[in-house]
Amino acid sequence: MLAHFVAAVVAPVAVRRLGARAFWLIAAVPAAVTGWAVVTRGSRTEVFSWVPGYQLDLAFRMDALALLMVVVVAGVGALVLVYCGGYFNSGDVGLPGFAGMFVAFAGAMLGLVLADDLVLLYVFWELTTVFSYLLIGFHAEERNSRRAAMTAIVVTTFGGLAMLVGLIMIGLAAGTFRISEIIARPPSGATVTAGLVLVLVGALSKSALIPFHFWLPGAMAAPTPVSAYLHAAAMVKAGVYLVARLSPAFADVSPWRTITVVFGLATMIIGGWRAMRQYDLKLLLAFGTVSQLGFLVVMVGVGTWAAALAGVYTLLTHAAFKAASFMVVGIIDHGTGTRDLRKLSGLRSAAPVTCVCGVIAAASMAGLPPLGGFVSKEADFAAFTDDPVVLAVLVLGSILTVAYSARFVWGAFAVKPGREPTVMHGPGVSLSAPVVVLTVATVLLGLAAPVFDPIVARYANAYPPGPDDEHLALWHGFTLPLGLSALVLLAGAALFVARGAVSRVQAVLHPHLDAERTYRLIMHGLDRAADQATRFTQRGSLPVYLRFILFALLMMPGSALLAGLPWGGAVRLWDVPAEAVVAGLICVAALATVNQTWRLAAVMCAGVTGVGTATMFVLHGAPDLGLTQFLTETVTLVAFVLVLRRLPPKFVERQVEGIRRLNAVFAAAVGLLVAGMAYVAVNARTAPPASAGYPEAAIEAGGHNIVNIGLVDLRAWDTMGESSVLLIAAAGVIGLIYLRRTPTMPRAGESSGEVWARPGVPSFEEPEAARPAATWLRGSETLSAERRSIVFEVTAWTVFHPMLVLSLFLLFSGHGTPGGGFAAGLVAGLALTMRYLAGGRYELADALPLGPGVCQGAGLTVITVTGLTGLLISGEVFRETVLDWRLPVLGEIHFPTSTIFDIGVYLVVIGVVLDFLRAMGGELDRQVEEEGEEVITA
Amino acid sequence: MNGIQPPTIEYGQLMPLLLVFGAAIVGVLIEAFAPRYLRKAIHVPLTMLTLLGAFGLVIVQVLRDGVPTAAVAMGAIAVDGPSLFIWGVILVLSVVSVLLINDDDNFVASAAAVPGSPDEEEAIARGGAHTEVYPLALFAIGGMMLFAASNDLLIMFVGLEVMSLPLYLLCGLARRRRLLSQESSVKYFLLGAFSSAFFLYGMAMIYGYAGTVDLGGINDALGRVGGQDTLLYLGTALLGVGLFFKIGAAPFQAWKPDVYQGAPTPITALMASGTLVAAFGAVLRVFWVALGNLDWDWRPVMWGIAILTMIVGAILAITQTDIKRMLAYSSIAHAGFLLTGVIATGEATQNANSLSALLFYLLAYGITTVGAFAVVTMVRDAGGEAGHLSRWAGLGKRSPALAGIFAFFLLAFAGIPLTSGFFGKYAVFAAAVAGGALPLVVVGVVSSAIAAFFYVRVIVLMFFSEPAADGPTIAVPSAGTAAVVALAAAATVVLGVYPQPVFDLADAAASSLFVR
Repeated sequence: MLAHFVAAVVAPVAVRRLGARAFWLIAAVPAAVTGWAVVTRGSRTEVFSWVPGYQLDLAFRMDALALLMVVVVAGVGALVLVYCGGYFNSGDVGLPGFAGMFVAFAGAMLGLVLADDLVLLYVFWELTTVFSYLLIGFHAEERNSRRAAMTAIVVTTFGGLAMLVGLIMIGLAAGTFRISEIIARPPSGATVTAGLVLVLVGALSKSALIPFHFWLPGAMAAPTPVSAYLHAAAMVKAGVYLVARLSPAFADVSPWRTITVVFGLATMIIGGWRAMRQYDLKLLLAFGTVSQLGFLVVMVGVGTWAAALAGVYTLLTHAAFKAASFMVVGIIDHGTGTRDLRKLSGLRSAAPVTCVCGVIAAASMAGLPPLGGFVSKEADFAAFTDDPVVLAVLVLGSILTVAYSARFVWGAFAVKPGREPTVMHGPGVSLSAPVVVLTVATVLLGLAAPVFDPIVARYANAYPPGPDDEHLALWHGFTLPLGLSALVLLAGAALFVARGAVSRVQAVLHPHLDAERTYRLIMHGLDRAADQATRFTQRGSLPVYLRFILFALLMMPGSALLAGLPWGGAVRLWDVPAEAVVAGLICVAALATVNQTWRLAAVMCAGVTGVGTATMFVLHGAPDLGLTQFLTETVTLVAFVLVLRRLPPKFVERQVEGIRRLNAVFAAAVGLLVAGMAYVAVNARTAPPASAGYPEAAIEAGGHNIVNIGLVDLRAWDTMGESSVLLIAAAGVIGLIYLRRTPTMPRAGESSGEVWARPGVPSFEEPEAARPAATWLRGSETLSAERRSIVFEVTAWTVFHPMLVLSLFLLFSGHGTPGGGFAAGLVAGLALTMRYLAGGRYELADALPLGPGVCQGAGLTVITVTGLTGLLISGEVFRETVLDWRLPVLGEIHFPTSTIFDIGVYLVVIGVVLDFLRAMGGELDRQVEEEGEEVITA
Repeated sequence: MNGIQPPTIEYGQLMPLLLVFGAAIVGVLIEAFAPRYLRKAIHVPLTMLTLLGAFGLVIVQVLRDGVPTAAVAMGAIAVDGPSLFIWGVILVLSVVSVLLINDDDNFVASAAAVPGSPDEEEAIARGGAHTEVYPLALFAIGGMMLFAASNDLLIMFVGLEVMSLPLYLLCGLARRRRLLSQESSVKYFLLGAFSSAFFLYGMAMIYGYAGTVDLGGINDALGRVGGQDTLLYLGTALLGVGLFFKIGAAPFQAWKPDVYQGAPTPITALMASGTLVAAFGAVLRVFWVALGNLDWDWRPVMWGIAILTMIVGAILAITQTDIKRMLAYSSIAHAGFLLTGVIATGEATQNANSLSALLFYLLAYGITTVGAFAVVTMVRDAGGEAGHLSRWAGLGKRSPALAGIFAFFLLAFAGIPLTSGFFGKYAVFAAAVAGGALPLVVVGVVSSAIAAFFYVRVIVLMFFSEPAADGPTIAVPSAGTAAVVALAAAATVVLGVYPQPVFDLADAAASSLFVR
């Protein structure tokens, strides 16, 4: 076998060098193997460790069955290779590859029959699938060929995988994967039964039994030598071999016998029946093969001494006569260019040698004495003398066999009236010789049957022989089988003579549901299903994907939530009734948000939900939290509005109403789910909340504003980290807006005076004198005239400074009362926002001539230094000390060092707001002006 | 602030992790300070040496100290057998992926430039590509290692994010078909953000139940805490959503084809191999360690998901016309196969068997995947990679060697014997059969057959179809890409013919299971 794989590597080179003649050289390899097998004969076992972790060994053993198979595989292989040498022309495209594949296939097949390890067997099994696939697809340019190759590999791979599972199950149940050990001590149990069924699926698919038979006729697209080898002698026998191999152990396990016999018989009949209808000689033989394979599976699967003997012998004879027949067809095809039996006529005289061989092969197929086919058929009938039903079907099948054998001979060689004799160039020696050899073998198998008997019987001896079981012989006397054989021959001949009537019956009975069409339907359905599933799931649309995820969310955690009902815990509707009102308001605002067509309106509505939440905080008695939330909400709104100027005012496309409803359902369901989860989570509390200690901790830290104390004292570390993150995020956002431009500080002097100009509106020319000498806001001079609003400017001018003072107040009083650095920073930021809105980007630069980077950097520095100072003073980071002093106007100042920290926060927040204003406000303005679009102003 | 003890950290055991993260940070500094023309010259050796060094450290640790038996860093990270194996696998896969990344021409010159804008032309004219790719990849790789080795949910979440965030970004950096790339990035990011949020939410729920985020602690709490089952189930389900998203199990698979297609192919290779390995590491830890005693509850759901994943992956792959999308679906199907191994729990020996099978599978699949994507990068036409399958017609005639190798990879995906894929599938299915998940295995077999159908279809296309007149050219591979293809092919063969050493290794890694 190893020699084969070496040869497989060498073969392409040889063929490239020597042309088609190299096949003769290559044929020496399998010939040598055959010789070796015949010489050794005895049983041998070789084991090499392979994957001990999974108890996989390279275990090979030679016994009677393996020996017979080796002779078939290697012997026929050698002959077919010789035949190839004559069949192909040296110039054929891809021939070197073909030679390699062919030899490799033969090697894999040998491995298959020699393997003594289930998994190893599977490995070779799949290798034969792959190689046969490549061989069938040899005429790659033909669409038919590709399709056939595809069908063959899909069907057999499917079967192979099923078999793998079955093999694993059996192996696990037996505790070993060694076939010989399993057969010696067969495991049992439900697992084994299931495993056996799966193994049978594999075997049936490989041997082209119903319902997998359709791939074999399709595979006839392969070159004829391939058909002769793969589809007569070697590959299709793999399934039969496997059944034969396992039957001694498992024939008595319930479904084994039923499956093999039922499917085998059905295949035999249907194959024979369909063979009668074929016009292509090769297809005729293919269906004949299907029929015979079914027959073989019955014989080896039933598990009695006589059947086993007959079955294995039939296997031998079948290999001989079927390979010969295929080769004959190949010669005809090669010589005449057609295989259509309606076109062939008078080849009897044109190719006498071929004709003789073909007739003998067909006669053996039909079971005519004294040929091999007769002996085996006799034995077959004898094996079932006590089972009339099976016997009757076998007889029926054999009648069909006789009929199509006759049809084959007639079709190929007969002189058909009214048709010109076909012109044919004679076959070369290399084509004829193998056919002759096989024909001689067929004859010998008949005449010298007793010689082969001991070897075959060695396999059959796995079963106890019955009382009146007979050995193989040409003549047993006048027995029932002999009578049946005669009956079969007569009936078959009659059927052939009445072929006209038969074909009319067949036309009527033409089955509407054949397996091939089913396969195509399945494949087509698969394609369609895939298409539609793709269309359904892979729209490329994010909302659709999200819907899937949300759906899973509803299914998995949702069902967990429902399973947990009732959730327990007491429901308190509200503390003050106003809460209900606010909650209602929030809900309405949320609904309104999703129903807006204008972006701005949607943002406003979303803002309302935020404000509502802030109100809830206040109602809950947390003014500090409420204040912070209010301010954040406001700044967020401003940021939103600034950005929205760059987007279309309306949401682009209205969704389809149905989708909208679906989304609404999803949204509501997910909302409920999250609410439910929140409820469960809150009620699941068993430990006291960490925040319970906050009030005391706050007082201990010297203040009453828990938010502020939390920020600057209790969790100062966090705040420091968050400040850094905030700055990084801000830098990221800003970077996106500026893209590759370095931010610069706008100077009022550079302005063209056309800020926020509306391109559509002609800016009216003001006389120079009409401009006010002094303005409220210097930056507003840079605005285009129609954008100025005196009232707004005055307001901004008036309010700006008080707001700054307010922010300072909030900053310094924050420790004890609502406020604090964060809130204060936001207030200051809002003050700046107002200046920007009133006077444009130049006004903003005027209001705070510091870069945002300076504010941010200073803030972060203050924060860090405070921490480090604490470390210096008391040996602990962020250790605070308290200073008290009085200030005029603002009153008593309680000044813990944490306030310094708070100043840092204050600066950071101002810096960030400033950054946003400059980027989303000023820079966007600038970009818009450059592009000459209209700005949507707030 | 008082009373916080400095944590004890076993630096030795964490060295591979620290090395990768350290190099990533150095990479950032290089970006900041090295002149542009020098950056790549510094990054490439740094990244390669780091990954190889980390791999070396893993090996040294195994050889010198054996497999540690306790979690390190205060129980936060478990450097146990599976971790070390997974680290090794991730590092190997990363090394090959980085070899692919080295091949210029895959990454955009200036990610910030609007596609088709003058800015972009300018950036292309200036030449070069984003060298930030290297530190980003290192962070992602470090994140993968942390994700798979974390012993508490918090660290796991950190690992998840450190792994994912750079990947979101990297996905958007393809040089060609940039809009597709950017779209994939946004999709991955948004959906990933959702799934991360679910993970976090689930973690909170589990914490509420168990009072700890430590995986072992959660398992202890399973028997102890009563009356909080809803929290537990909610948490389990939410964690599951987050994790299944990362491995791309159905119904969370939708992002995979889009992202795999849009991302630069080397990044796809990294994601398809490394991320999958890491995510399975995390899945195993959460479901085997933390929720190991809850298996009766999560198993039915996981059954459903595994079946759905296998079928969806196999069936949807059939219609794909883009090679990368097809490989994405194949990756989904493989995730399903792997899940059958996750389900196959039982006694300790059974668990060890399943684990070992999974580890082997992850290695085998990862290597083959990187190889397949490496081939994809080489088949190009005017617009970059020739993604559409029709462009691959007749490739076997133009470039038999390349097409042959690719066909071989496909056969490995299909699990044909004498490829690594066969033993992977064999091991996992054998474990699943032994673990009583027979119906799953049957579904697995059916979907394998379907999968074989579309793999074979590609092979047919490559070898048996006439090449298109204006077919794609085969780029002359850079040394790196060629090495990747060769390495992957060699590994696929060796693991398919003589897998025993790796099985031994996986067995050794799996024998002590996870530390708690």
